[in-house]
Amino acid sequence: MYSMLLADFNVLMPDPGLLFWTLLVFAFVYFFVGRAAFKPIQNALKKRDTEIQESIDEAKRVQAQMAQMKDDNAKLLAEAREESTRIIGEAEAFAKKRRDEAVTEAKEAAQKVSANAQRDIANMRDSAMADLKKEVGTMAIDIAEKVLQKELKSDVNQVALVNELVKNLN
Amino acid sequence: MKLVLRLLFLLVLSTGFVFAQEADHNDDDKRVEADGSHGEEGSHEAYEPVTEIMNHISDANEFHLFGHYAIPLPIILYAPEHGFKFGLSNMFHHGKTAVDGYVLNHGRVNRVADPAFPEGHIELAANDHDLHDVIEMTTHEVDGKTRDLGLLSYGGEEYKLDKPSTLDGGLAGGGITSFYDFSITKNVFTMMLAALLLWIVWVMIIKKKYINGAGKAPSGLQSLMEPVFVFIRDEVTKPMIGEKHYERFQPFIMSLFFFILFCNLFGLIPLFPGSANVTGNIAVTLGLALLVMLVTNFNGNKDYWMHILWMPGVPVFVKPILTIVEVLGIIIKPFSLMIRLFANISAGHIIILSLIGLIFVFGESGQNLAGAGVGAVVGTAFTAFMNLIELLVAFLQAFIFAILAASYIGAAVEEHDHHDEHASAH
Repeated sequence: MYSMLLADFNVLMPDPGLLFWTLLVFAFVYFFVGRAAFKPIQNALKKRDTEIQESIDEAKRVQAQMAQMKDDNAKLLAEAREESTRIIGEAEAFAKKRRDEAVTEAKEAAQKVSANAQRDIANMRDSAMADLKKEVGTMAIDIAEKVLQKELKSDVNQVALVNELVKNLN
Repeated sequence: MKLVLRLLFLLVLSTGFVFAQEADHNDDDKRVEADGSHGEEGSHEAYEPVTEIMNHISDANEFHLFGHYAIPLPIILYAPEHGFKFGLSNMFHHGKTAVDGYVLNHGRVNRVADPAFPEGHIELAANDHDLHDVIEMTTHEVDGKTRDLGLLSYGGEEYKLDKPSTLDGGLAGGGITSFYDFSITKNVFTMMLAALLLWIVWVMIIKKKYINGAGKAPSGLQSLMEPVFVFIRDEVTKPMIGEKHYERFQPFIMSLFFFILFCNLFGLIPLFPGSANVTGNIAVTLGLALLVMLVTNFNGNKDYWMHILWMPGVPVFVKPILTIVEVLGIIIKPFSLMIRLFANISAGHIIILSLIGLIFVFGESGQNLAGAGVGAVVGTAFTAFMNLIELLVAFLQAFIFAILAASYIGAAVEEHDHHDEHASAH
């Protein structure tokens, strides 16, 4: 009853008809599914993969750019702040210097003016004093002349005067 | 559209179950009936599990549905001395009628080569009951080996039945006989169905989504199949064939994978659109393995042939030995592909059929109802388990076939660096 095992095991016997149809059906699958669908799908998948990768790369690049820009901005801001501080400081220093200079100049000018004035006053006073002395001297001489003219008209007075002078010499 | 499809699916599924139950009942009834009629004559027709299983995994010229119902399939026969014969398998009336010497023996076309047998439509049996007496299966000795032999009784004479020619050269019990069967058999029909389904799924539905919906996220069937596609690309074609050449062979490898997968899955469906043992038939795996062999060797580069004919980097006295081994390898590699797929799928079908057969073995061919009950419980439980294993095997074998085919092709197109080829070669 089991003697037919091998003989009846006809799936082990390749039927040329089935082989022919297998090749034909597979040719259909290869050309109308493999070439017609798998190929374009593979291309579409590849394209999508590339696109996704590119998008990720682009996003990363943009992110990096943004971070860079942010850094740059912060740096620029810091620089600007520094610059402004520096400018203000410089301006303040300059203003202070200018003010000090102006004050000094004014003081100097004032001193100069006052010195000139004092010198002029002194000069004027000296010349006035000289003039006064000269006037007083002239006046004294005039008076003395007049006195002398009056006193020395008699001999007695002259002798008295000489005596007195001689006495004064002792 | 979707709702209609879903309803259709449910309908097919539910009618499938009804048919399955009906088929079981019919089978049981038939057995009991057969035993009842033959029991009186003392020629008790026992259930022969091996014959039954072999009939189930074999190719057939009609698509058996259940009971006495079968879908007729186109018949294309060629006998060198008689030319072509076309028709539909229902012209044989399940074996009751012979047409130009051709008869249907257990679902398969056989031929009476004897010129004494009359041409034209000949009624062999009036009903199914008489049919049992028309064809007798015996054995005979051919070259010291036992081969089975069908004998047709007609008009008091016995005629020898020829099976369709096979290409095994008598190694497995077949050989070239008086005719060739190029019919759309059950296996061919299922293959065509699988190819059609592949075309609908990939070309009609999924490809359009990639072309029309380029730049959109995958949806629907596309989401289901894309991971499989990407898996085969990333795990099979790309690593096996290499970054440079894989796109050239990808349609071929993918076609192999999905064709085998769909045929395997069809084989797991126990009812009408499925049930054919397509990839468990050596003619199918032979065809696919043959294509792999041709593609591999037609694309072999100088290095590939160099490694086969005069292996570099080994002592000279070893080279001729390796040449013999490598030349044999050209045949053995696809041969192993052929045997592996065929054996795995056939074995799966045989195991499931054996478990179902337990119902009849325990039931003593319908004599023992309690035994049949036990067989049904045990058989059903184990069959459910085996079906899950077979589902795994269906994917696994398709994957293995694809990955090995890819590795053979990869070895053929691989470019070796010549300065360090001995270190990197294999």
